[in-house]
Amino acid sequence: MSKSILIDTTICTACRGCQVACKQWHDLPAEKTKNMGSYQNPQDLSFITYKLVRMTETQINDRLQWLFFPDQCRHCEDAPCLETAYDETAIYKDLATNAILYTKNTKSLDADEIIGSCPYNIPKKGAGGVLAKCDMCNDRIHNGLKPACVTACPTGAMTFGDRKKILSIAKKRLKKVKLRFPKARLLDPDTVNIIYLVGFEPTQYWDYAVAGLDRGGVSRSVAMRKMLGPFARMMRVG
Amino acid sequence: MTNHWIDIKNSDCILIMGSNAAENHPISFKYVTQAMEKGAKLISVDPRFTRTSSKADIYAALRSGTDIAFLGGMIKYILDNNLYNKEYTASYTNAPFIVGREYGFKDGLFTGYQKGGEGPNLGKYDKSKWAFEMDGKGIPKKDRTLLHKRSVFQLMKIHYQRYDLDTVSKVTGTPKTDLLEVYKTFAASGAKGKAGTIMYAMGWTQHTTGTQIIRAMAVIQQLLGNMGVAGGGVNALRGESNVQGSTDHCLLWHIWPGYLKTPRSSNESLEAYNAKWTPKSDDPLSANWWSNYPKYSVSLLKSFFGENANRANQFGYNWQPKVDDGTGYSWFDIFDAMYKGDVEGFFAWGQNPACSGSNASKIRKAMENLDWMVNVNLFDNETGSFWKGPGTDSSKIKTEVFMLPAAVCVEKEGSVTNSGRWMQWRYQGPKPMGNSLPDGDIILRLGKKIMEEYKTSGGVFKDPIVNLKWDYETHGEYDPHKAAKEINGYFTKDVTVKGKMCKKGTLVPSFAWLQADGSTSSGNWLYCNSYTEKGNMSARKSQKDAPNKIGLYPEFAWCWPVNRRIIYNRASVDPKGRPWDKKDWVIKFAGQEKDGKYVSKKWIGDVPDGGWYPMENPDGSKRTDTKHPFIMRKHGHAQIFGPGRADGPFPEHYEPLESPIKNNAFSSQMVNPTAVVYSTKADAYASGDPKFPFVGTTYRVSEHWQTGLMTRPQGWLMEMQPNVFVEMSEELAKIRGIKNGERVMVESARASLECTAMVTKRFKPFNIDGNTVHQVGVPWHYGWRWPTTGTEESANLLTPPAGDPNTRIPETKAFQVNVRKL
Amino acid sequence: MKFNRRDFIKISSATAAGVAVSGLGFDLKAVKSHASLLKTQYARESTTICCYCAVGCGAIVHTSKLGDGRVINIEGDPDHVINKGALCSKGSSIKQLVENDKRLTEPMYRAPYSDKWKTVSWDWALSKIAQRVKKTRDMNFQKTNAKGQIVNRTTSIASVGSAAMDNEECWMYQTLMRSLGLVYIEHQARI
Repeated sequence: MSKSILIDTTICTACRGCQVACKQWHDLPAEKTKNMGSYQNPQDLSFITYKLVRMTETQINDRLQWLFFPDQCRHCEDAPCLETAYDETAIYKDLATNAILYTKNTKSLDADEIIGSCPYNIPKKGAGGVLAKCDMCNDRIHNGLKPACVTACPTGAMTFGDRKKILSIAKKRLKKVKLRFPKARLLDPDTVNIIYLVGFEPTQYWDYAVAGLDRGGVSRSVAMRKMLGPFARMMRVG
Repeated sequence: MTNHWIDIKNSDCILIMGSNAAENHPISFKYVTQAMEKGAKLISVDPRFTRTSSKADIYAALRSGTDIAFLGGMIKYILDNNLYNKEYTASYTNAPFIVGREYGFKDGLFTGYQKGGEGPNLGKYDKSKWAFEMDGKGIPKKDRTLLHKRSVFQLMKIHYQRYDLDTVSKVTGTPKTDLLEVYKTFAASGAKGKAGTIMYAMGWTQHTTGTQIIRAMAVIQQLLGNMGVAGGGVNALRGESNVQGSTDHCLLWHIWPGYLKTPRSSNESLEAYNAKWTPKSDDPLSANWWSNYPKYSVSLLKSFFGENANRANQFGYNWQPKVDDGTGYSWFDIFDAMYKGDVEGFFAWGQNPACSGSNASKIRKAMENLDWMVNVNLFDNETGSFWKGPGTDSSKIKTEVFMLPAAVCVEKEGSVTNSGRWMQWRYQGPKPMGNSLPDGDIILRLGKKIMEEYKTSGGVFKDPIVNLKWDYETHGEYDPHKAAKEINGYFTKDVTVKGKMCKKGTLVPSFAWLQADGSTSSGNWLYCNSYTEKGNMSARKSQKDAPNKIGLYPEFAWCWPVNRRIIYNRASVDPKGRPWDKKDWVIKFAGQEKDGKYVSKKWIGDVPDGGWYPMENPDGSKRTDTKHPFIMRKHGHAQIFGPGRADGPFPEHYEPLESPIKNNAFSSQMVNPTAVVYSTKADAYASGDPKFPFVGTTYRVSEHWQTGLMTRPQGWLMEMQPNVFVEMSEELAKIRGIKNGERVMVESARASLECTAMVTKRFKPFNIDGNTVHQVGVPWHYGWRWPTTGTEESANLLTPPAGDPNTRIPETKAFQVNVRKL
Repeated sequence: MKFNRRDFIKISSATAAGVAVSGLGFDLKAVKSHASLLKTQYARESTTICCYCAVGCGAIVHTSKLGDGRVINIEGDPDHVINKGALCSKGSSIKQLVENDKRLTEPMYRAPYSDKWKTVSWDWALSKIAQRVKKTRDMNFQKTNAKGQIVNRTTSIASVGSAAMDNEECWMYQTLMRSLGLVYIEHQARI
């Protein structure tokens, strides 16, 4: 059964507890940054930043909105990166959680191809071409703990659990949130396991909030291989 | 906080003003969010749109320093529209009290004003002019109909008549529609069964009118019946993990542990001291809790000096230093004296004045006059290394500096008290790093060294030093349990109290058992009940809620006083003891009733503010064996009229010392006529000066803390907020030709500060009486020592040399600056 | 050639259908055994209260039982009734506050007119401080004020701090300072 996280951005306060809790649990070093005229920092996800609260100021219907979007890997149900890699020693799915996991062997992949395959622009390249991103705190999940970011969240903006349950919570939550934010919607709930609930148009939060219309996805050859998945794989393994 | 963090979830309307809870107390939003999920309204009032504002139902901007105008308008709105809880106001507040004929108010001044005088105050009041009228028995005269023309209620109506929407809007810059929306929404919490709360912090205290801003809100909360109820109260969001506890233990010049007064020079004996500070009430219905004062002061002295304190030596009273009557010894005064060369030695314990004090360059300069300094901290800081700070020449600075490495909180054991008054015990994880030591060990060892010096070589007036009780160690190490027990207090001899035999050396069960004859000790009467023969109450971890299910968790940790989680809770019930709010009730009377009269006493829910019978029987007859609910007040009533304050009994708007405008719309008194303003050559200020046309303010961000000393050395936090910045509107940036993200200079009459410009929609220019007024803001978390580039300096270099007359807290929230391109 | 998003969804559905039909699913038997060991496996747990703001959030400290005995992890305590496991960015960074190579770990002394720090022993530092306190206090002790009233104090020494101290430390600290005759005792609550 897939594990999922519902991220309700309408109650996220951008305290960024999640952003640090992620680094804390994963022992990730800090980045050298500079204030670029906004609270958001670092500017993007990176090889050492798996979770980033994106912050956007925008005027919507005569009201100022400061939109917060705790960005991270969506752990796609059918992950283009995994399919593109086609190498389980580098990118694989943990069947117990359906978390998409990257190993050091990602260094042998074509990093740009993997990054290009991600509709959410998530994987980032480190020294030597190794790729990194959120691992859903798979080790914590296996030990009965919630992911570090979910544990840290004060307002309940992040809820973790079995996919089925999270989907049902998400739908109920959407109904309630719509009373306050009529344009509220869930982002790609059918295809991803990190399901965002937003109060406004997703692109107002972040260009890659939803899978883009003109980017990401897998190449045609990979798609073909994917449809033949089991057999192709058997052939390769064999 | 009169209430506590979890209780915020019980609120129907949350006003966040003078604080930025989402950023500076992020976990509070667990409960703000829960309240909102249940339908509560969130109002954010702030000069700048913050992360708090981003979650609010209503956001209203106001110019820094105009909070009393804003709140005065709300008082008027509530009164004009009869939205107050009449029964509550008439029964529990001093609204019905009759004020003496000498009271008056004209053009910004209350009666009894005298300009100038000694010390930094601009002037002083003779407060006897504001006294209540007493009846023959010495009890304040009251008119519970609130109609008497000299009743507090009617005087308040007159006072706030001037705070009409037009004038308020002209002063605050808040559009009238926004004012009305806020007033209407918050005033709705005055309905019976509804609760509104205020979450405020330094955005209110750090003004020359700070105390009165909070009083203005307290007046609103009294009128709306919001004191004592679940989801209500006046809640100061305190900013440090133990600033509540360290205030309770009174690391302040004017108070002794438990908010007792430090002795004044005119209090020549213990008897005179107790007589002076023990309030007297002739009203049999007033509990006047402070009438127990001598029990607390004598028990405190017994804890100070142990066996060495006895009746013959007035329990060591004269071993305690005394302050001169009418003189201030506050933070500002310390550095003023140091600047003038009157202080030789200085300790800074876990505090970084070189960055945290207003007008920090004066503080840094003052330190050069010291012979010696002891700096105790986790990291090297701008204070300990002041001799090599920007613009100094170490070869010309004589000061010896001792830098002592302290352990981090997780490396030691002991308790801290949160903003909701919960005392919580924490345990040691790792051992202190390297040769660092817990503060407790440093203090213990230093005390021993000093005592040794006096014991071996004598010295001036050594009695208090050699007689000090100093047995807080086990096997040569500091033992927090021993100190915690001393704070709670012991029976110092076998005594019978309340018909119960209490053995010498056992812990006192609660402050109701303390005595004024030396038979008990207690380092802090408010904490008496925290560590008893039943154990360490602060270490409790029960997840069980109280029967009223409002999140009191009475067996989780411990809270003062006597584990009462919501103070003034007897005002949460009507005079018959029935909760105003039937659902989220705090306490309710559950005694037996016979023929319309209560015949047995029992309260359920929270620990009641005194267990007396309700004020009235079910049949409406008044009881004589009861007490008014505000038991800490001399007359038992909450104070709408506050005759004890330095600057007047009603809050009145004055402009900040440095203001962008030329005239105060409410009176010809521009600045609080009693404000403290310092006047050395390092204390420059400039009001209405075109060189400094913009309002400046300081604040915090979520990712840093205080002067940043405990956050700037951390990569993870610096990654998120690497540079000191100045936030400004797009309009202002355009005027000055400033681009977002470029470095700019912010200048005040005191100093200049290089910052990164953050050009944002979240600041908007104000329309102040037809003129455009711009405001900017700078976080004060930075200093030259970390990051080691030395480029990120303290915003307190900019802040002014003025403060509130009651507290002498500096006015760092409103001052004047200029911003220019580099 | 890249597929657009619509195609991506189509492929996903097709795959799902294919899986259902074949009944085989992805053969992932090659998946590694997961890190079932947590980094906190060999750690001692203790509880603490966050040292930043005054919400008073509970946290769990994992201290290594092996090697240097230092902190491995600090995260929110789910059993704490206030924060229920949550921590903000500062609370989440306490580990980096503790395990920080910029910390002071030895007493240090700066002599008059010197341009540098010198590492000293605790005993030396505290002895010297005690002597300075005594000298300054005794030279400037005021038994009476200008009006001749008894005051028994010194205004030549001031002490500020600290809301960062525990209650028990605050108690001891202020008794010591007051017994020395200090009246210039102030801390964070004033500013």
